[in-house]
Amino acid sequence: MIVRFLIPLTAIVLFLLEPVFALFSPINLNEQTVFLVPRFLILYLIFVSIYYSRKRAVVYGIIFGLLYDVFYIDIIGLYTVLYPLICLIAGSTVKFIHQHLMITTLLSLILVALMEIVLYYFFLFINFTTIPFSDFMMTRLIPTIIANLLFLVMLGWVFKYLINARVLQRARENT
Amino acid sequence: MPHFSNKKLILLLVSMIFIVALISFSLRDRQNATLPEQFIKDTVGLAQGFVAKPANYITGIFNDINSLLNTYEENKRLKMRLEDFAALQSEVNTLKSENTSLRDIVDKESSLREYVPIQATVIARNPDQWEEKIILDKGSSSGVELNMAVMTAKGLIGKISLVTPLTSEVELIQTNNPNFRVSAVIQSENEEIFGLIEGFDVDRNELIMKRIDSSLDVKEGELVISSGLGGIFPKGILIGEVTEITTDDFGLTKMAYIKPAADFSLLQDVMIAKRTVITIDEHEDIKNEQTEENQNVGE
Repeated sequence: MIVRFLIPLTAIVLFLLEPVFALFSPINLNEQTVFLVPRFLILYLIFVSIYYSRKRAVVYGIIFGLLYDVFYIDIIGLYTVLYPLICLIAGSTVKFIHQHLMITTLLSLILVALMEIVLYYFFLFINFTTIPFSDFMMTRLIPTIIANLLFLVMLGWVFKYLINARVLQRARENT
Repeated sequence: MPHFSNKKLILLLVSMIFIVALISFSLRDRQNATLPEQFIKDTVGLAQGFVAKPANYITGIFNDINSLLNTYEENKRLKMRLEDFAALQSEVNTLKSENTSLRDIVDKESSLREYVPIQATVIARNPDQWEEKIILDKGSSSGVELNMAVMTAKGLIGKISLVTPLTSEVELIQTNNPNFRVSAVIQSENEEIFGLIEGFDVDRNELIMKRIDSSLDVKEGELVISSGLGGIFPKGILIGEVTEITTDDFGLTKMAYIKPAADFSLLQDVMIAKRTVITIDEHEDIKNEQTEENQNVGE
């Protein structure tokens, strides 16, 4: 019974943890300001999309994307589109790519990097930022990817274990 | 490859148009939140508060340990400053009493300097740090209003940019927003030098203060405080310290780089300054509209 609610519950916890971790950023490294953007939720949703159900991940993506937009960004429609889109792409790769944990980790990081780049061009377009792409690479993209890689290395297997538990439970219910 | 039927294609197009409309709508009107937005913000804010409090507690412990390690060094430094402090304290006391007696003489009760502080806790920082913004756990039900000054014990950090009943959003002074201006004063040795803080230099991590009269002599290391003349902020909030002075693009006025006094990386407890002197809000609105118009012309 509890397992059933664990997947949405984990998503909610990650959603609420993201801004708390964002309080630690930016950090000064070697006289350079480095931004670490926590992307826990979307990483988790990519895992859900690959190991569990694409449809479910897209629905979660829409809901949490909307919450994210309204609460943090104040531009409604940005993450509401990006989150489900990323989940959709992740879910579609299942047919072509082997679902080993390492490969999934790599794939999720590539997708997050893609999302960051799309966001950068969006914010550049609406004049929220003026930094050139090379600066964006050095101060945001690379540190963010490294930080999120650490997060996934620590918790990726937990996600997989959790989702597998739910998949097994559902299989048992159906038989 | 996914196969699209006609129906799906139309749905996709309609939703794309809808999303673009939503984005442009929310980009235009950024001063007020609509009712459903307020509802979502308050609900998420409440949940966020539950998570943020223990998290703040834990980071507090780490900070305590960190400061414990530096105790010896700090103690030495503080002891040196303690003697100065006693002298300063007596001077402040005499100045204060003199100030009140002078005020009594001229019958002037209200001052731009006075404000009522509202204590608030930071519950979140915008996770994708494109816009420098933090969210506080106090809203209009606690008396928070738009455009109020927000500061830490060290100095000014920003102003309230959006209020819902239970939460409020702070736009930090490190913003790229060209409409974010703070009327400020450089405390020179024998006079006050006025200027406007507008803009933030990302490379140097410093604020830019413009429109300083070029005949006046500004020195490095002088302190900058808010002037209270902008109509929103109280007077006397510390903003930072002058690090470099140059002439501006047209060579008519001076421009100063200012190192912010507040530390922006780990914000936890902040104060919202509610100015006690009555201000005329309509005037502020007109000014905002004008700057917006100017910007449109510029584009």
